[in-house]
Amino acid sequence: MLRNYFNKMRGISKSPPGVNFSEIIWSWLGAFLGISTVALISYKVLDSIGLTMIIGSFGASAVLIYGAIKSPLAQPRNLLGGHVFSAIIGVASYQAFQPHIWLAAALAVSTAIAVMHATKTLHPPGGATALIAVIGGESVHKLGYLYAVIPTAVGASLMLVVALMVNNIPRNRRYPEFWF
Amino acid sequence: MSVDDKKGMKELPVDIGISDDDIYAAMKDIQGYLDITPADLKEIYTLAFRHALERITRFVKANDIMTRQVFFVKRDTPLRVVAALMAERNVSGVPVLDDKEQIAGMISEKDFLTHMGTRDKTHFMSVIAEYLKGKDCLSMPIRGQNAEDIMTSPAVCVEEYTPVSDIAALFTERVINRVPVINHAGYVIGIISRADIVRAALVKTKTEI
Repeated sequence: MLRNYFNKMRGISKSPPGVNFSEIIWSWLGAFLGISTVALISYKVLDSIGLTMIIGSFGASAVLIYGAIKSPLAQPRNLLGGHVFSAIIGVASYQAFQPHIWLAAALAVSTAIAVMHATKTLHPPGGATALIAVIGGESVHKLGYLYAVIPTAVGASLMLVVALMVNNIPRNRRYPEFWF
Repeated sequence: MSVDDKKGMKELPVDIGISDDDIYAAMKDIQGYLDITPADLKEIYTLAFRHALERITRFVKANDIMTRQVFFVKRDTPLRVVAALMAERNVSGVPVLDDKEQIAGMISEKDFLTHMGTRDKTHFMSVIAEYLKGKDCLSMPIRGQNAEDIMTSPAVCVEEYTPVSDIAALFTERVINRVPVINHAGYVIGIISRADIVRAALVKTKTEI
């Protein structure tokens, strides 16, 4: 039994095939345009009124919605649902347990994963969105539940619009696989 | 997962013969990044194939795959005529009908062997063996008899809308190689052999998957 346990660690398959050059270029272009959209709005417009449009977890979302566009994890339902649910859970967790940041952080991420699973919105960057709500510092904390709307929901929506526009230009690419 | 994978393969009625390289090549054919490992994709493919086979054998009915040109003998057909007919048509079993054209039984090679007075009653080579020993009157017990004297009766039958999956199970359960197909009025409208089932499975899987 123990041997079987360790045997499982050897792996059974090989790494999937790599992508071709055009896939690399389109992934790069989508990510560049998507991040520049939210970053420009954030730094040129919202910064002056103390808001932001960009959070670290959008970098992870960019990998999925511009680089792995067939993935179930990269679809609109997952992108929007995963970020918004996780943001709400992160804010709630911080406000409920805030003197104990370690506990608030752990509960935020673990609960976000559970809720994303339960709602079929699993989106890995959502875990980061929940964590940022807890460890993101004063600027994030003072937003309260607004964090779930701006930057999270609006930012993710803008990234989605860019994904829809860019990913459907090449003949052999399409996005999304499904909406909801 | 490798354990489940092997188990899944074993339950398949046919080996679909897809290799890891086939899966890898298929993944390469699809441009763009697929976040699934070749092993998982192969497992999904294998399971999907099994579901398709089950669906096909459940929905294909006796009526769809039976041989329609059935020849038959009557209760009072002499066995020498029955044997000659079976040889001529190259079949190993034939339905026996009564006067009302309803099925009375089936005659197979096995029925001949079991009534020919050999010691081992089911094996054709035992007939050869006894013949070679010089007993040249092996056919004596059945000489002059008719179909009804040695037929297996009542015959195991299926109806025209019996699913092929049930028929395959019946073959195994009753250790038979063919069944007559009867309609609701009781008339024989076809016959299905093991070969018909194999052929149907192959053709259907080729066209529908």
